[in-house]
Amino acid sequence: MNRKLGLIMTVLMGLVLTACASKPKPVVNTESTKPVVTETATIDRNAFGSGYTVSDLASKFGINGDPLNYKVLYFEYNSSAIDERSRIIAKRHAEFLGEKGGLRVNLEGHADERGTRDFNLALGERRAQTVAQLMNAAGASSTIETISYGEERPVDAAHTEAAWKANRRVEIKY
Amino acid sequence: MNNFQSFRRLLVSATMVSATIVLACLVSLPSYAQVELNISGAEVRGIPIAIVPFKVLDGSVLEHQINEVVAFDLAASGKFEPIAAKNYLSNPSRDEEVQSKDWRFIDAEVLVIGEVWTLGPDQYEVQFQMYDVAREQFIGNGKRISGLSMRDLRMAAHVISDNVYQAFTGGAAAFQSRMAYVSRTEVEYQRFRYRLMVADWDGFGAREVYASWNPLLSPDWSPDGQKLAFVGFNDKGSIVKVVDLTTFVDQTIADFRGVNSAPAWSPDGSKIAYSSSQHGSPDIFIYDVLTRQHTRISSHYGIDTEPSWSPRGESFLFTSSRTGKPQIYSYSVNDESVSRMTFEGDESANASYNPDGSKILMVHEGGQIAVMDGETSRLTMLTNAKFDESPSFSPNGDMVLYKTEQQYEPALVVASADGRVRTRLSLVSGDVREPAWSPLRK
Repeated sequence: MNRKLGLIMTVLMGLVLTACASKPKPVVNTESTKPVVTETATIDRNAFGSGYTVSDLASKFGINGDPLNYKVLYFEYNSSAIDERSRIIAKRHAEFLGEKGGLRVNLEGHADERGTRDFNLALGERRAQTVAQLMNAAGASSTIETISYGEERPVDAAHTEAAWKANRRVEIKY
Repeated sequence: MNNFQSFRRLLVSATMVSATIVLACLVSLPSYAQVELNISGAEVRGIPIAIVPFKVLDGSVLEHQINEVVAFDLAASGKFEPIAAKNYLSNPSRDEEVQSKDWRFIDAEVLVIGEVWTLGPDQYEVQFQMYDVAREQFIGNGKRISGLSMRDLRMAAHVISDNVYQAFTGGAAAFQSRMAYVSRTEVEYQRFRYRLMVADWDGFGAREVYASWNPLLSPDWSPDGQKLAFVGFNDKGSIVKVVDLTTFVDQTIADFRGVNSAPAWSPDGSKIAYSSSQHGSPDIFIYDVLTRQHTRISSHYGIDTEPSWSPRGESFLFTSSRTGKPQIYSYSVNDESVSRMTFEGDESANASYNPDGSKILMVHEGGQIAVMDGETSRLTMLTNAKFDESPSFSPNGDMVLYKTEQQYEPALVVASADGRVRTRLSLVSGDVREPAWSPLRK
C-alpha cells in the first residue's frame, strides 16, 4: 500500500513540477520501471478524507500525499489550538488507527524555550491532550497516552523563530 | 549595634556627597569574578572597602585567598566596592600596623585585615579584624575562627564576609548559604545526563545529589536546608521527588497520571505545594509531609502551576493562564480566595516572595527578571534579556540568583536586589540551569 502511495505521490509531484516548469522536461523515474497509472491522478475532491483535493493539501498545508506520512503537529506560541493542517493529519491518523484497532499511541507534547519550564510542561501536555481529544473524537479507538516534555527536548536548540516553531509540537508515536 | 547603624548612616551620607572618587580601575576582584556595574543609578554606591591579603604565618600555600573570597562576596551584594590590593600603601595584618592615613588616601571607608595560622597538618586558624577608617577605630575585638581544614578556609572567608556585612549594613548576611542547580552533560550524541547539584552560594564545591537520564528541573529547598524537592521523569511523565541531602535517599511524592511539577515547600516544612494534571487540567495540590495526603486546591480550566508560599505560609503565589496568558495570582489559605497580582505586560510567571514578603520576584515576558513592590505593585526590571529564568532571592533578600545566557552559553548570575551589580558565578560552568538559593543554615 505504501509503495503504491509513493508511486502516486511521485507521479503527482512530477505532474506538478512539469506544469510549473517553463521548459517542460521529461520526468525520469529511476526508481521504478512500472507504467505510470494516469487515472489515479484525477483530482480527488476529498483526498484521504480531508475534504481537500490533493493539490490543496500540498499548496495550502504542505502535505504531500497521504497525511498519514506526517507525524508531527505544530502550534502557535503559548497556544494549544489545533490548526487545519494538524486537524487533517490527526484525523487521518485517527481513521487509520480506527481501521487497524488495538494499537497503542503515544502523543508527546513539547514547547519552545520561551516562558518558564514548569509552565511549558503544562503547555506541552495541554497540546498533547488537545490532539488526543481530537483523535478520540475521530474514532481512533486506540489507547492514547499523552506525555509532556515541556521545553526539555527541543529538536532545534537555536534561539530563533524557526527553531521555536519546530519545537512547539506534538509527536504522534505508534 | 547602635554605633554600627549610626556609622552606616555616616557612610551612606559620605558616599552620596563624594561622587566619583573611586575609579572603576581601582575596583578589582579575583580572576574568576566578572562583575558588571550598571551605572544608571550611579549616585548610589557601595561602601569602598579594602581587604588586605591575609598574612600566612608559616608561609603555607593556600588554595583560596581569603581576601579574594571576601571581596567577591561583598562586591556581589552591591553594598560594598572592594578596592584592588595593588593600590594599598601598606599591608597590615595586625591592629598596631594599621595607619589610617594609608586607607584615607585611597578612599577606603572600611578595612579588613587578618592572619592565617597553621596549627598542625591541615589544621588552620584564621584571625580577622574590621576597621572604621573615618573614626580611626576597630570594630570590637578581633575574631578568631579555628578548627579549619584547608577546604574550610573558604567557608571561614564567608564567615568574615558575613561579619563585615552585618557590621556595616546592619542587615542579615547570607554568604554561608548554598545553592542548588541542574547540570546537563551530553554523554554521547543526543544522550544527556542530568545532575542535581548543590554548591556554596558562589558556586564553589559543587557536588551531585541526584542524577538521571531524564530531564531534572525545579529544585526547591526544604526550609531547614536538609532536603530538595524537584521534578524528574518516569516513562509516563514528570514526577515530583524529594532527595535527602545527608543520606541521598530519594522518594517520589507525586507520580499521578499527567504532569506533576513545580514543588514548593511551605515555610514550616509541613507541606509541599505542586502542580498536577491528574484530573485533566494542571491544578495546584498540597501534599502533607506527615500524613502523605494530597489535597486539591485549585480547580480551573486554565493551567495552574508554580506555587510559591508567602513567608508566613498564609498564602501562596502561583502562575495561571486562566485569562489566556500566564499571570501571577495569590491563593489565600484561610478564606480560599484567589486574587490576581500582575497586570503589566503580556506574561508573568514563576513568582516568589522575598523573605519579608515586601517584594515579588518573577519572570516577565517569558525571559526577563522583574521585581514587583508588594505595596505599590510597581514592576522594576532587574534584567533586560530574553532568556533569563529561574530567579530566587538570597535568604536575606539582598541578592537574586538566576540563569541567563552569555554569548550563547548558559550562565548563573547573582544580581544585587536593586539590579545595580551583576556577578557571573564562573565557578559553575557548562550546560547549567534551574538555580535555587538555599535558606540559611540552621
